[in-house]
Amino acid sequence: MIRVRRSVLLLWAAWALVMPSGEVFARVRFSQEANTASREARATRTVTDGVGRRVKIPATVDRIVSLAPNLTETLYALGLGDKLVGDTSYCDRPPAAKLKPHVGGPQNPSIEAIVALHPDLVFATTSINRRETVDALDRLGLSVYTTDPRTVRRMIESFGHMADLAGAKSQGAALTADLNDRLDALHTRLENLPPVRVVFVVWLDPLQSVGRKTFIADALRWAGAESVVRTDQNWPLLSFEELVRLQPDYLVFAASHTGEGAVTASDLRSRAVWKDLPAVQQDHIAIISDEIDRPAPALVDAIEQLAREVHPDAFKTSLAPHSEYLCRPAALKSEELCANPS
Amino acid sequence: MPIQVEHQIQGMRALTARRVVGVCLMLLAVLFVAVVISLRMGAFPLSVRDIVATLVNGALGRRERIPSEFWLVVFGLRLPRIALGILVGAALSIAGAGFQALLRNPLADPYVLGVSSGAALGAILSLIFAPHLAAAIQVAAFLGAAATIAAVYFLGRRGGQLDSATLLLAGIVAASFLSAAIMFLMTTLPGRDLRGMAFWLMGDLSSPPPTDNVKGWFVFLFVVFAIAAGAIYLTASDLNLILTGEREAEHLGVNVHRVKLVVYVSASILTGLAVSVSGAIGYVGLLIPHVMRMLFGNDYRLLVPTSALGGAIAIVAADTLARTLVAPTELPVGAMTALAGAPVFIYLLRRRVR
Repeated sequence: MIRVRRSVLLLWAAWALVMPSGEVFARVRFSQEANTASREARATRTVTDGVGRRVKIPATVDRIVSLAPNLTETLYALGLGDKLVGDTSYCDRPPAAKLKPHVGGPQNPSIEAIVALHPDLVFATTSINRRETVDALDRLGLSVYTTDPRTVRRMIESFGHMADLAGAKSQGAALTADLNDRLDALHTRLENLPPVRVVFVVWLDPLQSVGRKTFIADALRWAGAESVVRTDQNWPLLSFEELVRLQPDYLVFAASHTGEGAVTASDLRSRAVWKDLPAVQQDHIAIISDEIDRPAPALVDAIEQLAREVHPDAFKTSLAPHSEYLCRPAALKSEELCANPS
Repeated sequence: MPIQVEHQIQGMRALTARRVVGVCLMLLAVLFVAVVISLRMGAFPLSVRDIVATLVNGALGRRERIPSEFWLVVFGLRLPRIALGILVGAALSIAGAGFQALLRNPLADPYVLGVSSGAALGAILSLIFAPHLAAAIQVAAFLGAAATIAAVYFLGRRGGQLDSATLLLAGIVAASFLSAAIMFLMTTLPGRDLRGMAFWLMGDLSSPPPTDNVKGWFVFLFVVFAIAAGAIYLTASDLNLILTGEREAEHLGVNVHRVKLVVYVSASILTGLAVSVSGAIGYVGLLIPHVMRMLFGNDYRLLVPTSALGGAIAIVAADTLARTLVAPTELPVGAMTALAGAPVFIYLLRRRVR
């Protein structure tokens, strides 16, 4: 009996091993041939990416793989959703991104799965990907462009570069101009107001905030707020005593991504120690969109939302609606911003 | 170790060359099957026919006959990873067997003397000070391991001789001190990207070789491995005697101090080598020598080669699972070895007790 079972098992193992992956095999080979044929004829250009690597990129990009949720979101905002052939299992915005083939999580994607998608261009970012992943892809001859969004302006700049590389230059110019205008409008509105002293709470237990070199700290500045946690560490752990000592005017939270376990103001008011903080007693608790966590176009929405929360008076009189794309020569601006092709 | 001695005397079968060759050939066959399965599995669909065609054409230098993606996946991704797995598994297991004899402690493993913590500290320092230097992390990890080994060696001597108990304590103290230093750096360092460290501390084979000359890199690694492993193999019959008692071995003409020194240095080199290319993969170095003892007896002349092959099989199999279990996301191979290793070990242990 055992022997029969064992031989069945062996047969199954042998079958699984030898079974040719028929249909998939044919498709791979076909697209492979098509690819090499077109690739030989293809011109490339060399650009410098956000971390200073020289990257060779095909002049026309038709197949893009994104290795981070914020990059996926940006590509959709640029109207490049059709060219996106693969993203990560974390990519959930817009909902269409969930339907794309996934190559794994942003920190540990399968290199093979990326190769199998035959991308012309892979986008990665320093804010979540590992350098090892980029190195591995680079070594295999894939074009990987890494963005390094350390400030909001640099982030917007990187959108222009991404659009330019993927053949969506005009969309890129429009998007960057729009976002820059909205930042400028905020700046005009808030420039004469003293910044509100805030602590941005990344995590409640253990208490974790942001360092001044993160893009979140920069986003807070655009919203007329200033993180009082002055450290060069990116995600510092704070002691509660330090929070008491810092006496922030406002506590800023990002709404939880999934909606579960989100912090609410009433939650804090019933928590020991927290309830005694002046900011909590004055109800100075700003819970803003979790887009604040992602260096994607919607970050500017989150910045505007925060600005309204912490400077309600400044928004009582509405400024004249800014005339989009007219106040600056958008095309020229994006020329300047784009990586120099050489 | 009274248990080991008893087991050794009872379980010592005459070791013939035929038995050694037979057992090794059997394990080689298992390793071959593991390699074939590992080559076959992965996110990129490849049939055995594709793999054979790619291997044959690749070996004959006819690269243009195979689709470039097949070349990439087989020669660029899967084969280097399998080779690295074989190397790391064999190195860790031999080191484990060596340390278990040297310290006369069945719980000893390649990391017990703080070698992996030293390597991790080296790696983290290289990420801080030379983040973009090629091969910096491997070199720094190896230097960290070597420095730890030297420090523990000097702390672990008593009356000019290596004393097993003192060495063990020195190693444990060094390991916890270095781990604390790593935690300190990881929580206080400003603005550096130490994301890779988490994977590194778990053990991870997915990082590519740090150089473009992949072949040269592997030749280098295997040469270092062969020298250190060969040194341990040559002490095998002396280790058998030392395990029955150091004094007895001394009376039989074994230079116990020298044997211990050779095993200590070689096992440390093997550990440093493995850790510097793959991070700290746990359990293999502890479990595989014991599994091989249970299967083939306690004679180090057989235990060293079987541990090498068994370790290679274990890592290749664990890495295949790590790549495919939750594909396309990859698990760190260290998580896999612990997850799969513990139950297997308990099964073997229980079976033997019965």
